[in-house]
Amino acid sequence: MTILLEINDIHTYIEQYHILQGVSFQAKKGEVSVLLGRNGAGKTTTLRTIMGLNPASKGEIIFNGVDITKKPTYEIANMKIGYVPEDQAIFNGLTVEENLRVAMRKEDEAAMERQEYVLNLFPDLKKFWKKDGGYLSGGQKQMLAMARAFVNEAELLLIDEPSKGLAPIIVEKVMEALVEMKKETTIVLVEQNFYMASQIGDTYTLIDDGKTIQSGLMSELIHDNELQHRYLGIG
Amino acid sequence: MELLINLTINGLSTGMLIFLLASGLTLIFGLMHVLNFAHGGLFAWGAYAGVWFYSITSSFTVALIGAIIVGALLGFITERLIIRPVYGDVVPQILITLGFMLVISEMLKVVWGPNQIAATVPPALSGSWEIGDVLIIKYRLFIILMGFLVFGIFYYILKRTKIGLIVRAGVINNEMVQALGINIKRVFLLVFMTGAALAALGGALMAPYSGVIYAEMGMDFAILAFIVVVIGGMGSFPGSLFAAILVGLAGSYMAYYVPDLSLAVNMIIMVLVLIFRPQGLFAVKG
Amino acid sequence: MGKINLKSVYFWLIVLVFVLFPFVIDSRPMTILLTQIFIFAILAMSYDILLGYTGIVSFGHAMFFGFGAYATSVMLKNIDSSLTVFFLSIIVGMVIAGIVSFLIGLLTLRLQSHFFAMFTLAVSGLFLVLAEKWRSLTQGNDGFTFRAPEIFSDRINFYLFVLFCLVLVFLLLRLFVNSPFGKVLIAVKENETRTKALGYKTIYYKVVSSVVAGVAASLAGSLYVVSLRFVNTSMMAIDVTLNALLMTIIGGVGTLVGPIVGAAIIELAKHNLSILAKTYPIFERWIIFFGIIYILAVIFFPKGVVGTLKEKWEGRKMVRQQAMKQKEDAA
Repeated sequence: MTILLEINDIHTYIEQYHILQGVSFQAKKGEVSVLLGRNGAGKTTTLRTIMGLNPASKGEIIFNGVDITKKPTYEIANMKIGYVPEDQAIFNGLTVEENLRVAMRKEDEAAMERQEYVLNLFPDLKKFWKKDGGYLSGGQKQMLAMARAFVNEAELLLIDEPSKGLAPIIVEKVMEALVEMKKETTIVLVEQNFYMASQIGDTYTLIDDGKTIQSGLMSELIHDNELQHRYLGIG
Repeated sequence: MELLINLTINGLSTGMLIFLLASGLTLIFGLMHVLNFAHGGLFAWGAYAGVWFYSITSSFTVALIGAIIVGALLGFITERLIIRPVYGDVVPQILITLGFMLVISEMLKVVWGPNQIAATVPPALSGSWEIGDVLIIKYRLFIILMGFLVFGIFYYILKRTKIGLIVRAGVINNEMVQALGINIKRVFLLVFMTGAALAALGGALMAPYSGVIYAEMGMDFAILAFIVVVIGGMGSFPGSLFAAILVGLAGSYMAYYVPDLSLAVNMIIMVLVLIFRPQGLFAVKG
Repeated sequence: MGKINLKSVYFWLIVLVFVLFPFVIDSRPMTILLTQIFIFAILAMSYDILLGYTGIVSFGHAMFFGFGAYATSVMLKNIDSSLTVFFLSIIVGMVIAGIVSFLIGLLTLRLQSHFFAMFTLAVSGLFLVLAEKWRSLTQGNDGFTFRAPEIFSDRINFYLFVLFCLVLVFLLLRLFVNSPFGKVLIAVKENETRTKALGYKTIYYKVVSSVVAGVAASLAGSLYVVSLRFVNTSMMAIDVTLNALLMTIIGGVGTLVGPIVGAAIIELAKHNLSILAKTYPIFERWIIFFGIIYILAVIFFPKGVVGTLKEKWEGRKMVRQQAMKQKEDAA
């Protein structure tokens, strides 16, 4: 399988703080790669660095054979990378419809079909179509953020903790949607909920203190209790 | 009764002029957190450009369009030369825009001389209508109509077009807009030029209204515009209209009924807003 | 330890040179020019407390300068021109400046820094209008002349008094910024969120800083009008704020010495430009030149003269120390 995204030893500073101190991993086309690690380990910053929101000071990020390390955020996004941030960053004050329209590159027939397809993944959104995004529940906001990242054809989705703060039944729904999305695209997922991560992840990368500790197949990690205990505080 | 109507018309027309200045200011701030202290200078340039174009063409339409073009061009220069080198750096940004304000105001004196220049109301808009006992000055009504027209056009653009949607989204969260593939700096340049053009239009409309123009006029009006932006909520377009009318009317009524308070009234409104609702009456961000 | 002593020896030596200056070089224009420089140095230093040490931008410094200017001129004219009234007027100006800066700070300093810049600009704009409208007291833009205390009719006496004020303000402000309180201010400037997280009530520190700056600016205003024996509304205009800004930025923010150097540079430049303007009228528009220099300084020269020199000097010192260490290692 071809490698879609390759991260080589990236370092990122936020103000004077050296947050990422050597993160490396690869995401293969069609797979779900999960970034695991404790709070503050640098998972969110890794996604933000890929998006160019906190550019790397060292190392390289190769997407589809193109070096995107130094590119501005909007160009990275236009290479068909969708981003669902940790706080969802819904545009409060815009309707659900408008939230999706901001993201749509074109508004032609094909785009409308695509929108229809995405809405079928998240039927709740249709109910609140003309409602202000600020009034949605946490779960609905999460779905809107995922729909927004997916309303354009995406070759890669970066999704940051979709289960955070959601009731178990909603997490179930989000997971179902992720399984559907996985059929279409490649996903890099940050997830604290190990159950969810292990259910949909193909590979994992462990990050601790801003460094990659280890990468491998999810199926192996599931049986490695020692590693789980040491870095994830499970078991 | 006719007194009240006249005071209201005065207040509304002043309010509309402030609105033209404040609306650009508020959107520029909302989108990129840039507070443009040079905005008043653009207003003054609009006034001078308007008077100059009117003096050579005798067409008020050309004068207004000329002012708008001068404003947009100056806006382009300001954004590229002054704002862009210090993006995201709050303190230098505040410092540098004020410096630019003084430079462009002083430039006016180099181009048009240091003395006041008289401005006349075009014949078609001069004079007044008498309706019953009420005397309505045509030009003031014209300013009010222009104000509402501008508001209508931009309200439509913001609400109904894609670029308007992007601007509104950018005001709410400009980082996320970029992560959706939009080059926010280009959008910002456009908004900046538009804001500058509106300020210049305001200046050009102001000139015949006050009768004279002078280089420092920008600062006087900019202060009112800043007050309006605080009251209306930084980043809110409808808020800037509401607050501008409020400030205009309050000033007009107070100047007649309680002249001693007319100076303080805007200050009092602003202080009250800062105490009880520092995000402004029409807050954009929750 | 030897270094600190050397520094203060230099400092007092420079002070001594300026004390003796008018007795050695008997030039009235020069004495007046130096007096102006000292007064603006006080104003610029007060601005540095805000911009350089607390990281907040005020556009209302002209207002505090104006409080001092009007307190002193009104009292000297309407009560009498004694030294006692003069000192009292300085205190009155400071108290007004202190109260106004306290209220403004309390209202806006908890908000984004934009608010403070905007609010100070608006309030000082309104005070300017007030000064123009309250003609019975201020006589508006025409202004009025008044008699200064008898002892200051000798320019040298006034020169020495202003020099004394400058040295006093400098020492007091240095004490202020080097105190634990001042350290917190610098922490606020570097990273306010973090300072807050460490448990400091940053708003309290910022308000105190703005009061100190306002009070010192008022003193400069009081001295300025006595040097002119005249006051009008131009002393509250935005140009005064711009002057303070320019001097602080050109001289070097966050250094206290910088603003003094900046005041000297700007006042000397203005003096020479006004001479030039007699032959080349374009130099009447000196604001353009200063404005452009100021803009370029903000972009390319943000540390100012003193800041840049200090950096160079410290850099060299480090190189020297390293070289010495290498020598020691070799031996």
